[in-house]
Amino acid sequence: MTLSYLLKRVFHALIVLIMVGVITFFVVRLAPGGPSLLADPKLSAVERQAIEERLGLNDTLPVQFTKWAGQTARGNLGNSFLYGAPTVDIIMTRLPNTLILAGTSLLLTLVVALPLGLASGMRPGSAFDRITSTVSLVFVAVPVFWFGLLLIILFAVTWRLLPAGGMNTAGQEGNLGDLLRHLILPAVVLSAASIAEILRYTRSSTRTVTTQDYVRTARAKGVGQWALRYRHILRNAAIPILTAVGLQLPRLIGGAAITETIFGWPGMGRLSVEAALGRDYPLIMGITLFVALAVVAFNLLIDLLYPWLDPRVRAEG
Amino acid sequence: MPKRLFSVGLLTLGLTLTFGTAQAQSGILKLPLINDPIMNPVIAPDLGSVLINKVIFSGLVRPNEDLLPEPDLAKSWTITNSGLVYTFTLRNDVKWHDGKPFTAADVVFTFKAATDPKSGSRLVSDFSSIKTVVAVNPTTVKFTLSRPFAPFLTLLGHNAGILPKHLLDGKPLNDATAFNRMTPIGTGPFKVTRVVPGASITLEANKDYYGNKPKLAGMVFKVVPDINAQVAQLRSGELDWVNVEPNNIASLQNDPNITLKQANAVQHFLVFFNQKNPLFAPAKIRESMQYAVNRKAIIDGVLKGYADYPTGTLPTALKKYYDKTIKPIQYDPARAKALLAQAGWKPDAKGQLVNAKGEPFKFTLIVDRGNPSREQAALAVQQDLKKIGMDVTLQPLEFATLVRDYLLPGKYDANLIWWTTPPDPDQYSFYATGQDNNNAFFSNSKADDLLKRGRETADVAQRQKIYNEFQRLEMTNPPVLVLYYPKELQAIRKNLSGVPDLGIRDALRRSEDFQLK
Amino acid sequence: MCGRKAEVQGTVPQPAALSPARRSAQKLRRNPSAVRSLAVLLLIVAFALLGPLVYRSSPEAIDFSRQFAGPSWDHPLGTDENGRDVLIRLMLGGRVSLAVGFFAVAVSLVFGVLIGGLSGFFRGWADSVLMRFTDGMLAIPGFFISLLALTFFGAGLTQLVLVIGLTSWMGLARLVRGEVLREREELSVEAARALGASELRVLWRHVLPQVYPTMIVNATIGISFAILTESALSFLGVGIQPPDASWGNMLTGAQNYMYSSPWLAVYPGALILITVVAFNLLGDGLRDASDPQGR
Repeated sequence: MTLSYLLKRVFHALIVLIMVGVITFFVVRLAPGGPSLLADPKLSAVERQAIEERLGLNDTLPVQFTKWAGQTARGNLGNSFLYGAPTVDIIMTRLPNTLILAGTSLLLTLVVALPLGLASGMRPGSAFDRITSTVSLVFVAVPVFWFGLLLIILFAVTWRLLPAGGMNTAGQEGNLGDLLRHLILPAVVLSAASIAEILRYTRSSTRTVTTQDYVRTARAKGVGQWALRYRHILRNAAIPILTAVGLQLPRLIGGAAITETIFGWPGMGRLSVEAALGRDYPLIMGITLFVALAVVAFNLLIDLLYPWLDPRVRAEG
Repeated sequence: MPKRLFSVGLLTLGLTLTFGTAQAQSGILKLPLINDPIMNPVIAPDLGSVLINKVIFSGLVRPNEDLLPEPDLAKSWTITNSGLVYTFTLRNDVKWHDGKPFTAADVVFTFKAATDPKSGSRLVSDFSSIKTVVAVNPTTVKFTLSRPFAPFLTLLGHNAGILPKHLLDGKPLNDATAFNRMTPIGTGPFKVTRVVPGASITLEANKDYYGNKPKLAGMVFKVVPDINAQVAQLRSGELDWVNVEPNNIASLQNDPNITLKQANAVQHFLVFFNQKNPLFAPAKIRESMQYAVNRKAIIDGVLKGYADYPTGTLPTALKKYYDKTIKPIQYDPARAKALLAQAGWKPDAKGQLVNAKGEPFKFTLIVDRGNPSREQAALAVQQDLKKIGMDVTLQPLEFATLVRDYLLPGKYDANLIWWTTPPDPDQYSFYATGQDNNNAFFSNSKADDLLKRGRETADVAQRQKIYNEFQRLEMTNPPVLVLYYPKELQAIRKNLSGVPDLGIRDALRRSEDFQLK
Repeated sequence: MCGRKAEVQGTVPQPAALSPARRSAQKLRRNPSAVRSLAVLLLIVAFALLGPLVYRSSPEAIDFSRQFAGPSWDHPLGTDENGRDVLIRLMLGGRVSLAVGFFAVAVSLVFGVLIGGLSGFFRGWADSVLMRFTDGMLAIPGFFISLLALTFFGAGLTQLVLVIGLTSWMGLARLVRGEVLREREELSVEAARALGASELRVLWRHVLPQVYPTMIVNATIGISFAILTESALSFLGVGIQPPDASWGNMLTGAQNYMYSSPWLAVYPGALILITVVAFNLLGDGLRDASDPQGR
């Protein structure tokens, strides 16, 4: 790992971010329609004009772009149309909520998927393997919104075991037990599809690794089953698994849109739906850049972790 | 971080599950919102904001159970100079939620902001008739209008909550983000104590409220974006009152804890026929549409009967002005065909309507997508018109696109949409020639005259006559095709009482009488 | 399994006798769950494509007098909230959903193979640019961008196909690039080049066929992803628009009647579930079959 390699990667990441920003800017501004604030047929021409002026929509596109680029370069993402407040502030109030949900889901995913995937991968074709694969497939195949509503109807309406939505009972913010009860259903829904995916990767990586010579050697040397699993197999299968987890990240952070909508979870996913449907240009740009940044950073991190996980990989060029 | 959280979580998980579900908060009314509201009545852009503002901010007057203005912050008023000068005497016992006294200066400040589009005001057109507003003394406010304007009092009681000058003076209302989003201060029966962005707004009863002491301990407005999730939360007791669509009724009917109430809504759902398009310019064509579309079937089928059958653009909810003696036009496709034939459109061999040049009667009907009731109604309209030989294409569009790119520039043939109006018959801006909201480009000198006189006449009996005449005119020269006057469907948990028989907007202005058992 | 070595050894004398595709097909036939999935998928495709030819009923005819009717001779699966026949809508909705799946994957394949292939083949500067572009696309939350594009540019079959296709090619592009990089070094290509074949010809004739298995596996999984994405977008109101049916918008519409008429959700939900599971199992089977190491 050399410094120049690191710099190069950071430089690449920067290019990616600029590209994401510029593309999104033009897609959003060139689209027909306009911010939903203006979509009220009752507004008079005077009111409409005042709003357009306030939102800076009167400028020509190049002028708007220059303004936006200048602002963004200085770290100012502008004010949200819908909220009137700075985009960064809004994202910052929602981000922790999404991290709680996404973090729990990721953890749930790993806790369920890794052991099951390992076990299946070590005995491919066994009854256990087939049952796990099929069940996990069913979870991939269920549309999220339907699964979510079904769980709400069962657990909240019929059995009254868990709350139907929200993150806290109002007034109970900061009560961890209350938070957890609200967390169970959305976390299950959000991780359902990821579990299956990670399980699949773990299974196939395990399969590949178990046929490698060093595992056979280890087996022959009498290394215990559990040690074998976790020390040798999991470690060597870690790279593809980590990469897969990295690919789940945009889904967990930005793509929790549906889960958060159904459960009224005040996170980034719900915010992104609001921004898109409300055509809140600054908020859309802010969310896109933010998620892109998170993904790029995570990928960079995985890259840096590779050599540590697998000594055979050495950073090149 | 997630790891630690989770291990702590596992510990507490066991504990909480054994304790079962959270205890019901007694005396706290829980209502849904679909997103974070703007808690400032002058700039509130959406229904959710309007609703929460009703309990935080009071107005000079408020609608009574007949939707007529009754005193609120104003004790009394006089109207002089043949309807040009309104003088209000204010209560002197009113305090803002932060303890400061309420005075005439606040009223003047509010209406100066409301009439200034630069402040972000959404009430500019409502109050464009105001010429001057002055504080005569701390408890007297005098409005001078530039023209007689009969709906003035009704509009004062509609969305015009009064804002505190001492907190907002000096900059555009839009920039007061902290006030609008986190710490609004009003004079209403409930005050905001806690805002969790994206999640909930908690209010507690205002002990210093000048009217009846609120019976509820507080209210919570919860953000629940999905309507089916709202219904689920209503059923599980996590919400107390949800306004639903006819589609949702089936999900609520068997629940013993929920009552379904109908309230009158001052709304008319309609189809605009763009009268810049020569196809729809003749009154006969528009008249024929009223016979061609089976509106009874739409009301029964789509709205499950929760709507009134229409005559013209004045809804039945305006009891004082709606003329019940005018007979509504019933579904009669044969009559429609006859009228169309008189206008020069006859069916060809294949049953398609064509004019003398053999051109088909062909147009596109646009509707906003995502609302099942409107989509279904549009489908029904399309099918009925197809039956009499019109070639109608249905195009669902996203609402913002529909309004900005089609409706306002007049680039459409027909559009299914709706109007929600204040509880007053004034429809000048909707149906008088060249007005802001006349998106169908209807133009009729007699209608113009009636609508103008209607908004300038203060005398109720005379106004009734004027609007009855307008209603009659609309039967043969309809500006739009009115489909129905919907009812507001209120699904309310049975333990909530004290709710007046009004739409939720107006009912919330009397929230101090709500009670939870 | 243990036969692997023998098989490989056996093919050594006649390398041309079994093409990779043939070999895969043979292996696939020995995978019962993949075969069963293929059969199920053929049935579903037949249901959607041929069904409406046999079973004739109007998918749009509204009849408010028979809303939510149960199964009857006229309407074997009953009617929906508008009194429309559910069976015919499932068939036609299936056409739409499957079309979204197939065409979106076609778009994604074209992009993935093109970008991955060019990137891996030319390497150097072109590779760098194309891969940065791919990284950028991977960094954008695909679902959010789909939602944005459909909100702004209108929802419809074409838009859905393009949006889903254009946000899902990146994984494939990376895989193809990797494969191409690897294959490029292999003897066959060297040999072809020695004979004077042009670079692109080499790519087209020799490298690409090696990538087919990857493409096919990706395509099967991609179809199920596209069908699911359509349903999710329907839930947010930007999927296939009524009166046209898709399984996604039928399921979304049925959400309103989960308590009173749950079967309206069961039919489209089950069809989505079965189709997606079947495509995934088929994909797994194909992967195993095309994997020279597997079994």
